[in-house]
Amino acid sequence: MTSLIELTAVTRTFGAFVALADITLSLPPGRIGLLGPNGAGKSTLLKLLMGLLTPTSGTGRVLDEQLGGDRDSAGNWRLRRLIGFMPEADALVPGLTGVEYVSLAGELYGLPRREAQRRAHEVLSYLELEEARYRRVEEYSAGMKQRVKLAQAVVHDPPVLLLDEPTSGLDPAGRDAMLRLIKALAIDHGKSVLLSTHLLADVEAVCERVVILAGGRVRGQGTVRELCARRQNRYRIRVQGELDRFRQELTAAGATVLSDDGHGEWRLAVPSGWANLTFFQLAHTTGALIRALIPDDETLEELFLRTVGV
Amino acid sequence: MTNQPPNTDTMPAQTDTLLRYRPWRGTPHGPLFATLAMARVSLRLLLRRRLMWGLFALGLLVFFFFFYAQYLMVWIETQLRTETVRFAGVPVTIDNLTRFLKRLALDGSVHTFGNFIWFQGYVLVIALALAGSVLVGNDFYYGSLPFYLAKPIGRWHYILGKCLAIGGLMTLLVTFPAILLWIEAGLLYDWKSYYFDNFDLLVGIVGYSLVLLVTLSLLVVATAVWLRRTVPLVLVWMGVFVYPQLLSTLLVDGLNFPDEWRLIDLWNNLYLCGLWCLQADPATIRPPGQPEFWQAGLVVAGVCAASLLYLRRRVQAVEIVT
Repeated sequence: MTSLIELTAVTRTFGAFVALADITLSLPPGRIGLLGPNGAGKSTLLKLLMGLLTPTSGTGRVLDEQLGGDRDSAGNWRLRRLIGFMPEADALVPGLTGVEYVSLAGELYGLPRREAQRRAHEVLSYLELEEARYRRVEEYSAGMKQRVKLAQAVVHDPPVLLLDEPTSGLDPAGRDAMLRLIKALAIDHGKSVLLSTHLLADVEAVCERVVILAGGRVRGQGTVRELCARRQNRYRIRVQGELDRFRQELTAAGATVLSDDGHGEWRLAVPSGWANLTFFQLAHTTGALIRALIPDDETLEELFLRTVGV
Repeated sequence: MTNQPPNTDTMPAQTDTLLRYRPWRGTPHGPLFATLAMARVSLRLLLRRRLMWGLFALGLLVFFFFFYAQYLMVWIETQLRTETVRFAGVPVTIDNLTRFLKRLALDGSVHTFGNFIWFQGYVLVIALALAGSVLVGNDFYYGSLPFYLAKPIGRWHYILGKCLAIGGLMTLLVTFPAILLWIEAGLLYDWKSYYFDNFDLLVGIVGYSLVLLVTLSLLVVATAVWLRRTVPLVLVWMGVFVYPQLLSTLLVDGLNFPDEWRLIDLWNNLYLCGLWCLQADPATIRPPGQPEFWQAGLVVAGVCAASLLYLRRRVQAVEIVT
């Protein structure tokens, strides 16, 4: 199976600043989340993948198109034709109706005019903008703007979608609808999706794989399932009695006290395979009394922050 | 052929067909095709403004003035050559009657078209000053540029598309009416000899229009990229086209400065370049005391080069992924 993205030791610098350092990635087609805090190098990576920037060193390709060369070269035009890009910024053309906007995008991607118009209608209907397609884009609500941006990215039926913060500014219902559409495009129509976002819940809802960037380096990658498996099992526990002895025994058994309020309420991380009964056995042997034991697993956000070392 | 109704059980519902996302496996056109689409859409955006239609009406007035005045000149000279016309009981000779029209050289000559484009240029310059923000300024102001530049086209295709839109506007306002005047002039005189003898005038009209197209479109795009909004754009265009003309006239005609001072007036330089395309005799150019054609050409080329350099720098700096 052809890889979606292959990067080998890709580095990109801007003067002395290293935006991406020695990135090596091999990603299969599918739904991939690109996570990272501000300044992690996500935008630089997206630009490289779209042929808007050239790697300072290293090689790479997206599907069968090699990265590199001038951004206005024919090779990079071919590359950008493979990609439907949904920018984070509004990027709308004021004065145009939804259907004109999407149709213009189709023509810019090289579709014949009539086909671009036809597909604009179809795509807008598919993305539930059928009723609003003759309204001017500047009059759209935030959710409609996001969907019309998605429409212009898929109008030419690209195999790859690069979505930059697609749920930015949406209310919960709009966000769910957008994520459902993205997932449907990927599952029903075979699109590979690279979702760049800060919102880990979006990645969890849509993606199969995840790449975590921080400081211009890949800090972690794998399937979302694998990432979730690295979550710490955590508990919030309230204890009375022999606190010091109980704590020593817990630590000896492999648990880590993450926080202590000084009044016997702790937050603990325990190793995998830990049985709840162990708490009570240790309490019994040390003379402590457990007043409360509440599961408090690490969220994906906490896992992400722990992974990037924040 | 039977009249049986179609079996709707096996047909997909209309809404199903509409809502279906179809794959597309055609051969895509190249980026030059995209520039045409961009130009067409930009021109459509312009023509949605009522103000533009007002300016078109004004341009049409100028055209019709030249169109009918040219006809009137021929009619007067052929029908009333030996007569004296009375206005309010006052006898007026034909020479006096046509004195004003003769200043506009309404005889199908080089200066007919030079004068027409000069006057029509006022409307054109106003239209372009107002069009800049719609065509280009909005793309920067509202952040639409990533929409264009994330597509399989280059930055120069974007600029070319916008310049073509301006070219379309210019063709509607200047080139096409000037060609109609040339056709009319042929029909008013001996058409066979006029069209054959003055074919170079038609080429000159196209050349003049091209000079205007290249210079003004680059200037519009560059100033719109710089200023973005309509009011500052109009002020700068006044600074480029109105004040230097007043100043150069004052300096050269009023204070007897050297003729080269007219070079500060870009519109006059474009006029001189246009007259060079029309192969006008320098001695017949009014007002007298003009710089050389090559000097005007050099200034126009400098303006184009400066606009290009500025555009290259600004469009290169646009971030597509923020």
